[in-house]
Amino acid sequence: MPETGETEIRSKVQALLDTAINPAVAMHGGFVQLIDVKDNIVYLQMGGGCQGCGAADITLKQGIERMIREEVPEVTEILDVTDHAAGANPYYSPSKG
Amino acid sequence: MLRLLLLLPTRTYRTEAFLEAARALGVEVVVASERANALAAERPDELLALDFLDPAAAAREAAEFARTHPLDAVVPVDDDTTVAAAAISAALGLPHNSVASAAAARDKHLMRALLARAGVPVPRYTLASLDEDPGAVAASVGYPCVVKPLFLSASRGVIRADDPEALWVAVTRLRAILEDPEVAERGGEAARHYLVEAFVPGQEVALEGLLLKGELQVLALFDKPDPLEGPFFEETIYVTPSRLPAGVQAELAAATARAAEALGLREGPVHAELRWNEAGPWVIEIAARSIGGLCSRTLRFGTGLALEELILRHALGMEIPSLEREARAAGVMMLPIPRRGTLREIRGQEAALAVPGVEEIAITAHPGQELVPLPEGAAYLGFLFARAETTEEVEAALRKAHRRLDFVIA
Repeated sequence: MPETGETEIRSKVQALLDTAINPAVAMHGGFVQLIDVKDNIVYLQMGGGCQGCGAADITLKQGIERMIREEVPEVTEILDVTDHAAGANPYYSPSKG
Repeated sequence: MLRLLLLLPTRTYRTEAFLEAARALGVEVVVASERANALAAERPDELLALDFLDPAAAAREAAEFARTHPLDAVVPVDDDTTVAAAAISAALGLPHNSVASAAAARDKHLMRALLARAGVPVPRYTLASLDEDPGAVAASVGYPCVVKPLFLSASRGVIRADDPEALWVAVTRLRAILEDPEVAERGGEAARHYLVEAFVPGQEVALEGLLLKGELQVLALFDKPDPLEGPFFEETIYVTPSRLPAGVQAELAAATARAAEALGLREGPVHAELRWNEAGPWVIEIAARSIGGLCSRTLRFGTGLALEELILRHALGMEIPSLEREARAAGVMMLPIPRRGTLREIRGQEAALAVPGVEEIAITAHPGQELVPLPEGAAYLGFLFARAETTEEVEAALRKAHRRLDFVIA
């Protein structure tokens, strides 16, 4: 993958985060950062209320991933590099019942 | 492409496993939670909010959604969503357990009544109101007894009492749990009542099964080697295959099948808790869902099928390649909360992972989290997983790894 391609992916993903994703997750006290793009793989990190949130997987796989794949179809994989166990203020904490 | 409606409560541990299974099957997924997801407005065709506490309303909304987005299956992932899933499936004409059977499996009093009526061995029990004198209520059951909320999971609020004084203390603690605003809202009228039942001594096991047109297929029988004698009933280690004799395992499976039939459950996963003693099997509970927490990671079928994929295949009417669990022994330890406090740090994870047989440590508590042990709490610090040739080796590996972990709690 030429570097220009990755630069373009980075730019499109960042724009999507800035205009659609982060304004929405900010309502739950969260944010999503673009960490890197390598070999068409996007590395994201979730913070604030998203970090360690019981619903973070839903937000990522059912929302963020789909939005990125639609907007930037050349992306092959989206990886969450968040240390969710270190999240100090998750919006929803997981529980067994 | 098949479209699946997954009912995923916001606090469930099961999201990743079910979404990964759906992805592996290549089906389209719509996720419904009880609260709107942060991206719900951006993705209205894939992220719904449904009131799981009002199954009829959830069914109406889901049916309206299905008019433009036809659904092929509805899968609940844990206790809070089973009745809503049944109601939605009924509204859409999809094969599923009846609403009545799902509701019976959610109400521990109704469950006891139906099981007892069908001759399934259950502890002596009586229904009590928070407004009644516990001592008078317990007279018909005797001591030792166990008080138990009608609708909570993970042994939350379950307390043993050996005499009237202990019973009074137990009911006082249970009352505080049931009167917590969130719990009271979830439980409604059920949060004003509780069960008092006889304590049944014996070895406890958990049976994981799948109902196919009313026939129970046993997927795994787990031993629970830590004694569950009370006063609280904290679940820790699950290991499979069970070390109980084959004849005993067959009786436990037969009791589970009769329990499912007594409630009217016919389709999908069941998770049953049973005890075994000299009198035979006792059904403590049966739920119309699969094993909770992250514990399903212990189970692999055929050439590596996850439990969630098996559940989704069944719900979607897809072929199930195998219901045979892998040959190796496997187990999980739900890491118990040792005391109330604030979690500061978790030490020793590398050393714990180095124990032969230990495959994974999943820490689900976060630094700064206020830890609440049983009977008031409902969460774990995390989960330890191990695989080995024998059940004994798995159990030993889990215990050794747990000893190497140090949870710093202030």
